[in-house]
Amino acid sequence: MASIKRIQKELAECTTSSPAGISVTLPDDSDLHRWHVTLQGPSNTPYAGGAFGLVVSLPPDYPFKPPTVTFATRIYHPNVTNDSQGNICLGVLKHENWKPSTKLVGVLEAVRGLLAEPNPDDPLEARIADEYRQDRAGWEKTAKQYVARYAKGEITWPEKEEGKKA
Amino acid sequence: MDDDQRDIELSSLEAIYPELQRVDPNDPYTIFLEVPVNPANGVIVTFPNPTTDGAVPADGAVANGAGVRADHHGGADGGLAINPDHNPNNGPDSHRLSHLPPVRLEIGLGSGYPEEKPPSVSVSTNPPWLPDTVVRRLEEDGPRLWEEIGRDMVAYTYIDHVQQAAEDLFGLVDEKEGLEVDTQHKIAVLDYDIKAKKAAFDRETFSCGVCLDPKKGSVCHRMVDCGHVFCIDCLQDFYNNAIKEGDLAAVRCLAPGCAKEREKAAATEKKGKKVRTFISPSELLQIPLEPEVVQRYVTLKYKTELESDKNTIYCPRSWCNGAARSKKHKKPEGFELGEASDEDEGSEVEEDEAGSSGKMKPFKPEKELLAICEDCGFAFCSRCLQSWHGEFVRCSAPRKKDELTEEDIASLEYVKLHTTPCPTCAAPVQKTHGCNHMLCYRCQSHFCYLCSAWLHPDNPYQHFNIQPDGKRNSCYMRLWELEEGDGDDVGLGFAGGRGGGAPAGGAPIPVEHVVPEIEEPEDEDEAHEHARDDRQRDNHNAHGADNRQVGVAREGPLVLRIAGNPPPGAGRGGPRAAGVPPRAPVPPARGGHNQQHPLVGLAGHARAGRGAGGAPARRGGVRGAAQNAGANNRGAGRGGAQQRNGRMAAQGVQLFGPMLEMMRADALPDRLDAPQEAWVRQFVQLALEDREDLLAEMEQDPGFR
Repeated sequence: MASIKRIQKELAECTTSSPAGISVTLPDDSDLHRWHVTLQGPSNTPYAGGAFGLVVSLPPDYPFKPPTVTFATRIYHPNVTNDSQGNICLGVLKHENWKPSTKLVGVLEAVRGLLAEPNPDDPLEARIADEYRQDRAGWEKTAKQYVARYAKGEITWPEKEEGKKA
Repeated sequence: MDDDQRDIELSSLEAIYPELQRVDPNDPYTIFLEVPVNPANGVIVTFPNPTTDGAVPADGAVANGAGVRADHHGGADGGLAINPDHNPNNGPDSHRLSHLPPVRLEIGLGSGYPEEKPPSVSVSTNPPWLPDTVVRRLEEDGPRLWEEIGRDMVAYTYIDHVQQAAEDLFGLVDEKEGLEVDTQHKIAVLDYDIKAKKAAFDRETFSCGVCLDPKKGSVCHRMVDCGHVFCIDCLQDFYNNAIKEGDLAAVRCLAPGCAKEREKAAATEKKGKKVRTFISPSELLQIPLEPEVVQRYVTLKYKTELESDKNTIYCPRSWCNGAARSKKHKKPEGFELGEASDEDEGSEVEEDEAGSSGKMKPFKPEKELLAICEDCGFAFCSRCLQSWHGEFVRCSAPRKKDELTEEDIASLEYVKLHTTPCPTCAAPVQKTHGCNHMLCYRCQSHFCYLCSAWLHPDNPYQHFNIQPDGKRNSCYMRLWELEEGDGDDVGLGFAGGRGGGAPAGGAPIPVEHVVPEIEEPEDEDEAHEHARDDRQRDNHNAHGADNRQVGVAREGPLVLRIAGNPPPGAGRGGPRAAGVPPRAPVPPARGGHNQQHPLVGLAGHARAGRGAGGAPARRGGVRGAAQNAGANNRGAGRGGAQQRNGRMAAQGVQLFGPMLEMMRADALPDRLDAPQEAWVRQFVQLALEDREDLLAEMEQDPGFR
């Protein structure tokens, strides 16, 4: 299947020459459609020093349909839901914007870019977005607290079936 | 040895140019070679417009098609703008080409070459797009070079010379900014370019952005609008899936952000002109997708377009419901999507704006009314949704489906049957009990319930009595008729003042019956007797009326013009009521208005042959007889059929049927019914007061009860 072949290629690309601050593993070698990605918090951001787990699940008709990417690690960020689901608001992941020739490396880099530069104009957490705009110091403080509390130790990956819930 | 030298040269030439061939297998010393002409940056080739409108335009059309294909297969020159900017009808037809048909060099190394004779050279192109001057120059270059190098083996030097000359198009471009080629070679030249590009594209290798595999150009497709290349497998998979799911928006270039960026660029570059971001059906076919899939794409696209346009009119036939043809959205034929929509978009929007700013859109019958269903071919009016009635029929939008229920229809019927319209405002009035002197609930007019005649407020009962001049009208002594009311629930069914000819029904009486010369013996004498007197009295009374009621006198002339057409209903009523031969009583001049005339009874009176004498007088007499008969029957039982008919006959004469003739010159008055009569009466009344425009308002008034 073309889909499998492409995923293999993308995985190879990500593992052999992984982009800065991104590392990819497969929780289950027989399942190419679920990736575990560890994202190093970009320096010069409150997230620096933290390690964030991302769960990437690829639909069966990938790359015709966009993958879903969620944070496994709690993070204090305007564009990530402040709950255990860790949903991300990212343009390229929306169905209408997804193009089959968008590659996962690009997606992962976009997520990392979001950590470096939050987009408060299109927030998932309006309160955090407001704080980000009006009280940057307060926001940074809380974000750092979150990092210290959640993003310092071993990443606890959610179970496969309940990928989004756990 | 001569031969040796030539053989040596030829063998080295063959090593350098493997494509070298012999013109004739038996002649080893005449060779030919095709020198490709691929200008590095392409060249704009212009085909001058043909001077005559012969077969050439058709030629051009084909060539344009070819030009489109050229785009689809992309070019070997990767990244080169390959969209030909061709504008077929205005200005020169120019295309940017990167491959021109090769120059064929034929070199003959005759005996005596190279020492004594120069090589014989012939230069040609197929088609002969290369100007003759260039051909001649190139051909002369052979001997010249041979001389220059000292009469030695010149073949390689010459070929190389031509190749270099081909690089800059033999100097042609420098001279003219572009290359002009005779239009008759257009197809061949364009075709060659296409094939060359395709061949070059096929040889290339691309990395498909979807499957990430390197693919040969031969299994790839270059997107027409943006030039991105994907492999055919991926394109097929993706587009088939998208079209199957109806996700039309996904049928665009698969490169991230590609369509959006182009949209943006177009928006900033040239406002108002839309850039096409979806993929044309013809390109889908080229990828290739299955024709069925492309057909589905075309159909869905058209459907979406129609559904998103609120102005779309659908066929009123319940089993069809197809969309009506429109200029804005052309129904796709085959795989061709109507692209006119893009062009019309702007003007359409403007119109909409104009429409919303003003209350009503300007009436454009040719545009708005005739609609033809695209599916079943039904031609209908887009306003009333009935089958097409031509441009000049006034129609109105259909009421909402359930508005006129059976109940409503029955109600209207009842109103028609059991009410009398007010002579002033036409409000239907039903008498529940009491006398026939009515006071309109809406406009306070006094009128007679039997004949809908307007009654003078000062003495409304005069109408039912002997008139001041001693005459009696048809309502004489009938003040208390229908005392128990009108209607199914209240007793008798009386068609009220709407009577006229309508309830009598049946075919109109033949003319010979309507205008008989036979006279009723009884009436004849009297008619003769009174004819002159009556006329005098008429005149006299008219003057009297002038004094008392100016309005009536002014009405006179209006009525005069229409006095000629008797309502057949009147003639019909006569014989039934009285057994007298049917007559066609021509209402004399003011017959129509005697209700408003103080001397109401005049026209209807049996002995009042009021005409100017002769036939009209006699007819008047006959009518009078009919009325008399009706009056005589009254005693036998009011409301009886005969009696009613008789009365109606009288009404037909007295009322205003003839007046309608003003509006409908040739129509027979047997169509008149009371509302129409009332309308005319009302119109006249209002016209006298210069307020006839009020009528329209009244008509819209939902005053029907």
